[in-house]
Amino acid sequence: MTTSVKWIWPAVLVGMCLLPLGVGIYPQHVLIVSLFYVMMAASWNLLAGYTGQVSFGHAAMAGIGAYTSGILAAKAGLNPWIGIAAGTLFAALLGLGLGALCLKMGGIYLSLTTLAFSQILHIIIVNEYEVTRGTMGLQVPGLIPEYSKLAYYYILLAATVLVLFILYRMIHSNLGLNFRAVQNDETAARAVGVRVLHLRVLAFTAASAMAGFAGGLYGHYLLLVTPEIPSLDLQFYVLAMTVIGGMGSFVGPILGAFAINILAEKIRDYGEYHVLVFGLVALATARFAPEGLIGVWRSLRRRPAR
Amino acid sequence: MLAISVMNGLVIGVIYALAALGVSLVVGIMNVINFAHGELYILAGYFSFLFASTLGMPFAPAMGLAVALVFLFGLLIERLLIRPTYGNDMYSLILTFILSIVLQNAFLLIFGPYPNKPPLWVRGASEIFGLFSYGNQRLAALVSGAALIALVFLVLQKTWFGRIIRATSQDRAMAEWNGVNTTRLNMLSFGLGCALAAAAGVILSPVFPVTPTAGVPIALTAFVVVVLGGMGSMWGCVVGGLLLGLVENLGAAFISSGYKNVFGFLILILVLLVRPSGLFGRAKL
Amino acid sequence: MLLEGRKISKRFGGVQALSEVDFHVEEGSITGLIGPNGAGKTTLFSIVAGALKPTSGRTFFEGREITGLPADQICRRGIARTFQIVRPFASMSCLENVLVAAVNRHPERPRAALEAAARDLLGQVGLADFADQEARHLNVIQKKRLELARALATEPRLLLLDEVLGGLNTQEIQEAVEDIRALRDRRGITILWIEHVMGAIMQAADRVIVLDQGRVLTAAPPREVVSDPRVIQAYLGE
Repeated sequence: MTTSVKWIWPAVLVGMCLLPLGVGIYPQHVLIVSLFYVMMAASWNLLAGYTGQVSFGHAAMAGIGAYTSGILAAKAGLNPWIGIAAGTLFAALLGLGLGALCLKMGGIYLSLTTLAFSQILHIIIVNEYEVTRGTMGLQVPGLIPEYSKLAYYYILLAATVLVLFILYRMIHSNLGLNFRAVQNDETAARAVGVRVLHLRVLAFTAASAMAGFAGGLYGHYLLLVTPEIPSLDLQFYVLAMTVIGGMGSFVGPILGAFAINILAEKIRDYGEYHVLVFGLVALATARFAPEGLIGVWRSLRRRPAR
Repeated sequence: MLAISVMNGLVIGVIYALAALGVSLVVGIMNVINFAHGELYILAGYFSFLFASTLGMPFAPAMGLAVALVFLFGLLIERLLIRPTYGNDMYSLILTFILSIVLQNAFLLIFGPYPNKPPLWVRGASEIFGLFSYGNQRLAALVSGAALIALVFLVLQKTWFGRIIRATSQDRAMAEWNGVNTTRLNMLSFGLGCALAAAAGVILSPVFPVTPTAGVPIALTAFVVVVLGGMGSMWGCVVGGLLLGLVENLGAAFISSGYKNVFGFLILILVLLVRPSGLFGRAKL
Repeated sequence: MLLEGRKISKRFGGVQALSEVDFHVEEGSITGLIGPNGAGKTTLFSIVAGALKPTSGRTFFEGREITGLPADQICRRGIARTFQIVRPFASMSCLENVLVAAVNRHPERPRAALEAAARDLLGQVGLADFADQEARHLNVIQKKRLELARALATEPRLLLLDEVLGGLNTQEIQEAVEDIRALRDRRGITILWIEHVMGAIMQAADRVIVLDQGRVLTAAPPREVVSDPRVIQAYLGE
C-alpha cells in the first residue's frame, strides 16, 4: 500500500506529460481547458471542502486575474507573465478585503456578497467597453512568441502542479489540522485556541489568488478575454465539478474537473443540454452523496471488508 | 424626470420589498438563503404568461394559479432538497444555487432566450396630480404590491400563524419547547417565501418581461435588501426595498444608467462596513 | 484572585439567565460551582470562556479585563474548558484532537515534539491505546477524558470543568476526584468546577459558589454551604 501510494503521484505526472503527445489539436485544447478547471475546482474546494465557506465569486476572481493581466498587456504593453503576477495579487487583495468584510458576520454573508460581486464585475466589464471591449472580448497577447498548443499544455500543467502542491502542503500542515477542527466543531475549535476568523480569511485570500492566477493563464491561452470567464455559468461548472468529484477530498475535485470537462465536450455534440444535465447530476450528488463520487467509491471499497 | 424616477423607484421598490419579504421569512425561520428565489419569481412570470396568453385565461385567475403552483413547487423543494440538509447551512446554499442554474437552463430550453410578457391588466396612462402622466399598468403594480405587503403584515401581526412565525424567528429552541411543530412550519414558510417571490413575479412581469436569467438581478437585490434591512426583520424589508428602488432609479437617472445595479452593491458594502446587522437588525449574540 | 466577575448579567430574549453575578476564583484553588438546573452555571462558564458575550458586567483574568474577548484569545490567555455535552472533533483521531490544541499553543514547535507531548497527555488520561482511532468511536466517558486531554494541551492556568463525573460509578468518581486534585497539586492549575455529584464537590473543593435562578446565593467553604438553609431550600424547591 505505502509503496503504491509513494509511486502514484510521479506516475500520474509522467502520464500527464505523455498524454497530449500524438493526439490532435482539439483533444489538446480540451486537456488544456481541463487543467484550468482543475486549478479552479481544487482551489474552490479549499473553501467549501475544507473551511466551510461557499463562495460564488470564484469565477469572478479568475476574471479579475484574466482582465488585469489582459488589460495591462494589451493597453500598457506589459509582459504577460508580470501581468499574471499582478492579476494574482489583485485577486488576493480583493479576496482579503471581501473576506475580512463578510466573514465576521458568518458564512451566508460571504455567499451573498460574492454573488453580488460577480454580478457587479459583469456590469463593470460590459459598461467599460472602451477598456474591456465588453462582450466582444479583449484581444490579448500570448505567453509564448509562437503559438503552440503543446507548449501551452505544459505551461498549464506546470501551473496546475504548482497550485496543487501548495494546496497539498496547506492541507497537510498545522493549517490543515485547524481547518478540519473547524469543520468538525467550530465552537470547540475556538475553545482550544483556533483563530477561526483568521483561518477563513486566509483560506479565502489564498483561494482567490489561485483563481486569479488560473484565470490570468487561461486568458493568455485563449488570446481573448471575455465576460464568459467571470460568469455564473463558469462558477457553476467549478462548483459542480467539486461537488460531483467529492468536496473535502484532495483528489475528488481534480478527477471531477477532468471527467466533467471532457464529458461536457461530448454532450455538447448533441446540443446545449450539458449545463442542465450537469446541474441535475450535481443536484442529485449534493443531495444523496454529499461526499461525491470519491465518497461513493470509498464506501463501496469499505463495504466488502466488513 | 425626477417625478418619474421616483415613481419608477417606488414601483420596483415595492417589488423588491415583496421579494425580500420572502427571503427574510425563510432566513428568519430556517436560517436558509434560497438562491433560486429569483428563478421562482421568473417561473411565476412564465406560468402567468402561459395561462393568460397561451391558454387565454383572464389575468387574475391566471396569476392566482401561477402563485399557487409556485407555492406547491416550493413545498416540494423544501421536502426534497432543504429538509435533509437541515442544520448544515453550507449544503442548502450549494443546493439552491445549483437549483437556480438548473431552472435557468430549463427555462432556456422550454421558452427560449426571448422575453415573454403576460398581457397587461389595464391600458393607457393617468395624469398624476396633473403634473405628469404615468402608465396605468405600473400604477396597478404599485397598488397591488403595496396591498399584498399590507396583507403579509396583517397576517404576521394578527393571526395565530403569524405569531408562531415571529416567535420562531426570535428563538427557535423556545418555540420547539412550547410545542411548535417546526418541521411543518419550515415547509410552510419555505413555500410561502417562494409564493411571495411568485407574487412579485406575476405583478411585475407585465411591466418587465421575463427571460431565463432576468431573475438573477431581482433576487440579488432582494438579498441586498435583506442584509440592509437586517436579516429576519420584516420592516427592514419594506424600508430597504423602497430605499433601494429609489436609489437605483435616481442613480440611473442622474448618475449613470449602466450602473443601475451597482448602487445596490455599494450600499451592501457600506452596510457591512458600518452596521453589519442592518438597519433594523438585532446585534448577533 | 485569578478570575473575577463583576455584576455579570445575561438575557436570552425574555429570559434573564444571570443577574448581576459577582464572583471570584482564588489562584491555586479548586472552586465548585453548584446550583439547581437552570441556575445559569453553564451560561456563566460560556461567558468566562468567551463563547457568549454578557449583556452587561465585566470579567477579569489575572487582573486584566477579558470581557467580550473571542474564545480563542481567552484560550491563549490561559483559560481552558470542557463541555457539558461533549464536543470532540469526531472525524479526527484522538491524537489529532489533542494536537489541534497543542499546535495553537506552540505554533513554533516542530510537529514531532508536539505529537510526542500529545501522546503523553493521552496516556495520562488513559487513552494511549486509542491515539490513532477516530474520536467518534469512543464512548461518552472516554470522550470526556479526551476533552480533558485536549483542554490540558492548551496549557491552561485556569481549567473550567463542566460536569465531568456524569455516568461514573462510585469507584470511578473517587479516582476522578484524585485525578482532578492532582491537576491542581502537580501542575498548579486552578480549577472552577460545575458538578451535580455533590459528594465529590464537597470533598474536593476549597470553596463553593452556589447559583440559584441566575443569582449568587452564597460562596463559602463546603462545610458552611451544606448547612446553609438557603442552599437546602434552593435544592428542595427544585
